[in-house]
Amino acid sequence: MSFLKRWKIRLLIFFAVVGPGFITANVDNDAGGIWTYSAAGAQFGHMLLWTMIPITVALIVVQEIAARMGAVTGKGLSDLIREEFGFRITFLMMIGLVIVNFGNVVTEFAGIAGSLELFGLNKYYTVPICAVIVWLIVVKGQYKTVEKVFLAASFFYLTYIVAGVLAKPAWLEALEATIVPPHKEMFLRQDYLYMVIGVVGTTIAPWMQFYLQASIVEKGVTKRQYNASRLDVVTGCIFTDIVAWFIIVACASTLYVHGYHNISDAKDAAQALHPLAGDYAYILFAMGLFNASLFAASILPLSTAYAVCEGLGFESGVGKRFGEAPVFYWLYTILIVVGAGVILLPNIPLVKISILSQVVNGVVLPFVLVFMLLLVNKKELMGEYVSSPLYNIIAWATTVVMVGLTLAWFWTLRGGSG
Amino acid sequence: MPTFALTELLGTPVFDTAGSRCGRVREVALIPQEDRARVAILIIKTSTGDRLLPFVSVTSINGGIRTSSPTTDWVKREGAEGMLLLGRDLLDQQVIDVFGRKVVRVNDLDLLQESVANRLVLKVGSVDVGPRGAVRRLLKGVVPLVALRALLRQIPPRTIPWDFVDLIETDPARRVKLKISHERLAKLHPADIADIVENLAPDEREAVFETLEQNVAAGALEEVEPRVQKAILESLDSERAAEIVEEMEPDAAADLLADLPEERTSEILLEMEPQERREMVELLEFKENTAAGRMNTEYLAVGVSATVRDAIEALRRFEGGVETVSTIYLIDSHGTLAGAVPLAKIVLATPDTPMLSLTQEPLISTHAGSKEKEVAELFDKYNLSTLPVVDDNKKLTGVITSDDIISLLRANL
Repeated sequence: MSFLKRWKIRLLIFFAVVGPGFITANVDNDAGGIWTYSAAGAQFGHMLLWTMIPITVALIVVQEIAARMGAVTGKGLSDLIREEFGFRITFLMMIGLVIVNFGNVVTEFAGIAGSLELFGLNKYYTVPICAVIVWLIVVKGQYKTVEKVFLAASFFYLTYIVAGVLAKPAWLEALEATIVPPHKEMFLRQDYLYMVIGVVGTTIAPWMQFYLQASIVEKGVTKRQYNASRLDVVTGCIFTDIVAWFIIVACASTLYVHGYHNISDAKDAAQALHPLAGDYAYILFAMGLFNASLFAASILPLSTAYAVCEGLGFESGVGKRFGEAPVFYWLYTILIVVGAGVILLPNIPLVKISILSQVVNGVVLPFVLVFMLLLVNKKELMGEYVSSPLYNIIAWATTVVMVGLTLAWFWTLRGGSG
Repeated sequence: MPTFALTELLGTPVFDTAGSRCGRVREVALIPQEDRARVAILIIKTSTGDRLLPFVSVTSINGGIRTSSPTTDWVKREGAEGMLLLGRDLLDQQVIDVFGRKVVRVNDLDLLQESVANRLVLKVGSVDVGPRGAVRRLLKGVVPLVALRALLRQIPPRTIPWDFVDLIETDPARRVKLKISHERLAKLHPADIADIVENLAPDEREAVFETLEQNVAAGALEEVEPRVQKAILESLDSERAAEIVEEMEPDAAADLLADLPEERTSEILLEMEPQERREMVELLEFKENTAAGRMNTEYLAVGVSATVRDAIEALRRFEGGVETVSTIYLIDSHGTLAGAVPLAKIVLATPDTPMLSLTQEPLISTHAGSKEKEVAELFDKYNLSTLPVVDDNKKLTGVITSDDIISLLRANL
């Protein structure tokens, strides 16, 4: 009894400390993240580990900017873009956001389909049922309750850390690969560039910035309480990237070394957890992937609908009735219905589609970053809270690098090599 | 009466008296101190910087702005003191639709052209918050003007008349210069005002609460959800906060103050009138989830020997809120609760009837330390609308009304 009680108290403390930053970071390791990191490890072994440190730095800087803008202005990112850049730019931005996020929603349903197929459940039943569940959770206003369950279940990610250790990876090699990028020949390879963009895109996804800023506003964080939120954001970012590092290492030391370079379904990816769970690896993997996918699937369409409606001036909010906020509810519903519908197409390559959507995230990221940077440096908006020069350098560098990578990838396409 | 969209006017070429092009319209400005709707100044972007063109010297708008005053007369722009810039201050910003009782985002403005004594006058007619303005903004300059206008005619406009638009300005100095008050907003029901401010950013909420009259602000604040309530009281300066808290129902005010950080609570208390402060401190000492924490200390009580006439006289002089007087209490010389008379009985009785003969039996009351749940059960069991609260000596200390119970139940829903 006292044991249970002690745990209950610990859990309560945990939820009291966990803020928007940590939640966002957790959702970041969604189906797209798991697929992409797994594929990166399986296909290239340790060769993508070097991206983790720069990505973490960039992620912290970018997320911190989003959180700071939320706390200082009390407005969402799309509101700010609308107020400072006008209708047309906002409209185009929102079209882009809907397209990218649609890709992400498809990925989450791919995760749901893939994870439940491991239990032998047919996607033609599971995906529609989960789509209805997701829709109901939000429309019936139960999201806040369910969020706690998702969060607790996301401790599954720790299994990757354990699995990574048990797989007895070549530690020295892995650490070296974390600091030293591979030979520059790699950067001429189309598939490698594609994966780099995907890894960045899945870690620093555009939608996260909208979601995080909105959550900070929703939570009512103000300038005064901002320091606590900053800590929350930084911890979240570091946690998410440590997990990402271990997913890559776990996949590298199980799949890559045994020559399974192409993950084509969940069964392959589950093998990464084999050192930990043996033949039951698939259960662990499936439950983790299912939780991550369902978690993100209930956030993504909602966050998209909010961002779009606020930016374009439509009524929004789950507190309103369907008739009061038709655009909001329709957009939300269509994202779920069509997103789930795509997965029901026969023979659709789940993993390929998922990674593609993460690459699109990476390609769109610089556009969002440019707006965030212009906004956060506006003195009349942020006052004394404008970014420091170091921040600006890191954030602009991230933007330039992402544009550079995208151009380089298109360049390799031109030659038809790969 | 021809109308122009603000976004069509912005960027329109301007011609000087000789008929050659000398610039473009950068901004359209009102001077609210003079007139809330009439366009007073056009800010023109010329090769020598921004210049102010008083609208009175504009002779025509169609096909470019023509004016009767030579360019040399146009003053150089220095700041925008006292000017409401329609483009910067309104376009894409949020305003309050007082008629529709919600916060809306401005897509465009419709300007009405009138002719007064052969002079051209341009007035803000309404704010476009619908798809018509959105489509115009999106396609302007992309689609030929003729085609765009034809398309726009097909879209039903969704507009708010200028008179029903309340602006939100976070800079207090500018608020005074631009005569931005919330007179129209203040006329809405407190619950509607609360819904509106909940949809605003913290700085904007603060601006609204600084501008509203104390009693209106207090009424609205009571209806705002607790988290936002707290944020608002923390952001206002303590003097203003105290003014608003004094006007609130004491029980609601006490609940709110109890939720604030202690330091902040004492700052606000220090700014309050001595008597109100004493009352508030007393309420704050009660535990929040007891009968005393829920009760209101504003109630109406008359002596046991009073007649209906006395009671009505007391009612007329009573300054508290109306919801607490649906029952009038009888107390003896020690302040002990002796009876309760529903207002309806008083209305039906003749003036000379002794109050004691109208009391409701049995007399239901509760102790200040009773749990909220017990209180709610009493309301349910006896179908009460009010319930007196007594202390250890049976002395009347406060009254709980059914709306307090409804909030309590909703909070636990």
